Amino acid sequence: MNKTRTAILALTALLLTPAASAQSLSDGGIKVGVLTDLSGVYSELSGQGSVKAAQMAAEDFMKANRAYAGKVSVIGVDHQNKADVAGNKAAEMIDRQNVDMLVDMPTSSAALAATEVARQKKTVAMVVTGATTALTNEKCNKYTFHYAYDNYMLANGTGTAVTKRGGNSWYIIYPNYAFGQDLNRQMVAAVQENGGKLAAPSDATPFPNTDFSSYLLKAQSVRPKIFGTMQAGNDLVNVVKQYNEFGLKKQGIGLGIGLLFETDVAALGQDAFSGAIATVPWFWNFDARSRQWAARFEKAFGKKPTWAQAGVYSATMQYLGAVARAKTDNSDAVVKALEGYAFDDFFARNATIRPQDHRVLLDVQVVQVKGKSESKEAGDIYKRLNTIPAAKAFMPLSENKCRM
Amino acid sequence: MNTQLLLIQVFNGLVNGAFYALLSLGLAVIFGMLRIVNFMHGALYMLGAFAAFALGQLLGLGFWPSLILAPLLVGLLGVVLERGLLSRLYGLEPSYNLLLTFGLTLLTQDLVKQVMLSRFAVSSAPYSPPELLSGVVNLGFVVFPKYRLFVIALSLVVCLLTWFVIEKTRVGAIIRASTENPVVTRAFGINVSLWVTGVFAVGAALAGLAGVLAAPIYSVEPYMGAELIITTFAVVVIGGMGSILGSVVTGFAVGVLAAVGAAVYPPIANTLVFILMALVLLVRPSGLFGLPEGAR
Amino acid sequence: MSAVSKVGATRDPARVTRAAWLIGLGVLLLALPHLIYPVLALDILAWGLFAVAFDLLFGFSGLLSFGHAAFWGTSAYLTAFLLGHGQSVPVAIAGGTLGALALAVPVAFLSVRSSGIYFSMITLAFAQMVSFLALQWTDLTGGENGLQGFARPSLLGLDFSDAQLRYYVCLVLFALGFGVAYRAVRSPFGQAQQAVRDSEQRAQSVGYNPARFKFTAFLLSAGLAGLAGAMYTFGHGVVSLEVVNWRTSGEVVMMTLLGGTTTLFGPVIGAGLVLLLRDVLTTANLPVGIVTGVVFVLVVLFFRRGVVGTLQHWRRRR
Repeated sequence: MNKTRTAILALTALLLTPAASAQSLSDGGIKVGVLTDLSGVYSELSGQGSVKAAQMAAEDFMKANRAYAGKVSVIGVDHQNKADVAGNKAAEMIDRQNVDMLVDMPTSSAALAATEVARQKKTVAMVVTGATTALTNEKCNKYTFHYAYDNYMLANGTGTAVTKRGGNSWYIIYPNYAFGQDLNRQMVAAVQENGGKLAAPSDATPFPNTDFSSYLLKAQSVRPKIFGTMQAGNDLVNVVKQYNEFGLKKQGIGLGIGLLFETDVAALGQDAFSGAIATVPWFWNFDARSRQWAARFEKAFGKKPTWAQAGVYSATMQYLGAVARAKTDNSDAVVKALEGYAFDDFFARNATIRPQDHRVLLDVQVVQVKGKSESKEAGDIYKRLNTIPAAKAFMPLSENKCRM
Repeated sequence: MNTQLLLIQVFNGLVNGAFYALLSLGLAVIFGMLRIVNFMHGALYMLGAFAAFALGQLLGLGFWPSLILAPLLVGLLGVVLERGLLSRLYGLEPSYNLLLTFGLTLLTQDLVKQVMLSRFAVSSAPYSPPELLSGVVNLGFVVFPKYRLFVIALSLVVCLLTWFVIEKTRVGAIIRASTENPVVTRAFGINVSLWVTGVFAVGAALAGLAGVLAAPIYSVEPYMGAELIITTFAVVVIGGMGSILGSVVTGFAVGVLAAVGAAVYPPIANTLVFILMALVLLVRPSGLFGLPEGAR
Repeated sequence: MSAVSKVGATRDPARVTRAAWLIGLGVLLLALPHLIYPVLALDILAWGLFAVAFDLLFGFSGLLSFGHAAFWGTSAYLTAFLLGHGQSVPVAIAGGTLGALALAVPVAFLSVRSSGIYFSMITLAFAQMVSFLALQWTDLTGGENGLQGFARPSLLGLDFSDAQLRYYVCLVLFALGFGVAYRAVRSPFGQAQQAVRDSEQRAQSVGYNPARFKFTAFLLSAGLAGLAGAMYTFGHGVVSLEVVNWRTSGEVVMMTLLGGTTTLFGPVIGAGLVLLLRDVLTTANLPVGIVTGVVFVLVVLFFRRGVVGTLQHWRRRR
């Protein structure tokens, strides 16, 4: 009953407002700037796929909101994973090309540089592929939103789920820089909170590093139930390759991973990772709704979507939705429409936008990598172990350092 | 640190040292004959690893045929590079060769990435040790992967063989003569430029061999040689450019020292080799085994 | 070096053309932030001065440093650190520059005793050491997050949040740095430096001490690279690990070669071309590594005189 009423109201609102809303756009249109890595290490998991996802969102939005037909456009810019280029292009897109919203932004330093520009120029920025928790803590600002994931959610999710499932003794290695140190701290806290213990104190590894043999040998001698690796990208691939080489899996030592991208699994093949547990915001064959979107994306782009690309679609859609609700693309009004907004789309389940720090809270999935023989179709790499509800997945406000 | 841990780190260090030794040996061989520093050595190492992967994917060849074929392919590429590009710069400052190979490195890395993406839809490649060498062996003080022991052994054999050929055989004599005095050597009816090409190809093939050996244990990705080559440069500076044996000994020694150092104080691991380099330079500006500048 | 221009020549016609060139370029630099995006223009000044500094060592002293990112980056970080801790803009810029100079003393001491390729590898290794330090020393550098959002306090009523204003401030600094380089090359010191480059023995026989000249040239070059790094930080308001990466050392070599070594202003042109290319590539669907690699290879193989060197060569032959 209530639902029908809301729907009718929404529909009426939609029918009544179009003319007004389209006119209150600052320059007659809305421009989305996808600031991403089009040529470097993150180009497979975000890159052109992110640009395509944002375009899909723009088209879908215009189809659903006739008043905006022809008014939303998307441009993709390569920040080359350089913070200075990211900052410079962000400013130029806003000043010269009238971009109203920035999205994606892999590489922490590039994301922080671009969101600083967003703050100065009062433009909405939605970080999807950048991971640093600084975005919603000491570096938070009124115009920046953090979508999809962050360090806290990764470590907390995997640490809690694995420990609860009986993996209660850990030996963790982490790359010795801010990202790794942060991830390790959160992971240790999550393990201990759930009654697990450390079989040996965590070890910092050099970064970047190729050879992890001394840590794997140490794992052999301390015999934890879970070998936790907080490495990312190529360092992670090295760890996992050598984990198999040293035969740790055969010795009954499981693998817990801090940050796992679909591209990492592709780099070594599923079997190398099989049994490993990680936390992800989304994966393409997670349920019917996700599959449906993934199929559309694959048709348009030629490849299965990564969660980063799905996140870009969702973030773009939410921004556009907020513009429609605010009936203007004025950033302050859009921010107001976004703050506290609750929604549920194929990517972000049971989501709310936390007004205090602009963290987008959503359900996240704890997954286990399937062996090749278990997968039913191409790209079927994850088995879902459990879902962590949005309210528990992210850093609680009590620990948050954001002063907006 | 107890003796067991020390022994373990020595073995770990020998594996890393095996790669440093193969790479700095290749650099030394090329430098000895051509007087250029091949910045592309890291990219050739990467190409060796990708060649092994591609041979497996396209022709279904396993590790053993690739161990021979991939270095040959990289050596062949070396011939093309030397004949087609590097030879145009002979007679100029050697710096230009360094710059050319630097540019080629940037180009090769991204080209491999694009080709891998369009051909295999990934930019890094899976590769596992051969059946015969997979698994671990109990050495008494530690359980160590068989494959890594093989890497140490093979690298030692190849390094000693190269040293033997250059220092003790007629082929080596010709190479040394062409290096020291190309004009006189030419007068003896020896085709120096042919030998130059050959030596470059051998140096490149050594890098390719290191790449194939690395493929089963390290991540096979386009930038895998980039950091390694810089460390190898430091190894070469420590050892001194003059000596083949020096490059091999220093390669293994630096590998072991870095591993032991990292066990004592982990944060130092990446910088240790550069600190060593600074110390050696203070005492011996031409490196441990190198001849003083004027003598070359 | 193939493209040695007659920098020391004092014949009148040459002087007139040179003056005309300098005035033309001066006008271009004054108008630049109105032609392209001001922050990009600012980048050209900073990288341009960096390339000029590098060329003092490469072109005029024959020393190919493959680790100049160490000085540029150290200064960039120090400047950001000082600004972030409430220092004024002039203090921060001076502090950064002096920091680079201080780092240069031990590096120069250890490296100028070698020459040729050896020198290149040693400088590269030192730069790598700085790069690892920058990653570890997060209190100073922010690690892989980098530093951003630091204040640029107003001075004498000048509000530095205006990019155009920052550009003109940097233009003054650039002119200052460029003037120092210009004077150094033309002074008796510069002449001696080039004599050392061309033949160490001959220079020694007329009473110069080559090592001392190389040492001084190294410090001068590192100091100017430091000033350029400080300009970069002041201009962008962002510093990340990229500033100490070995690719940065390679990029400055490419800019210098492309513009033309020993042509003084050439490296600035080279910097401009590389940065404009990089800017175009942010929206063109071409991988930046492949394009820069190809340009690098072509320049080394066929275009060693660089843009300005080629122009000079062409004019002289006419």
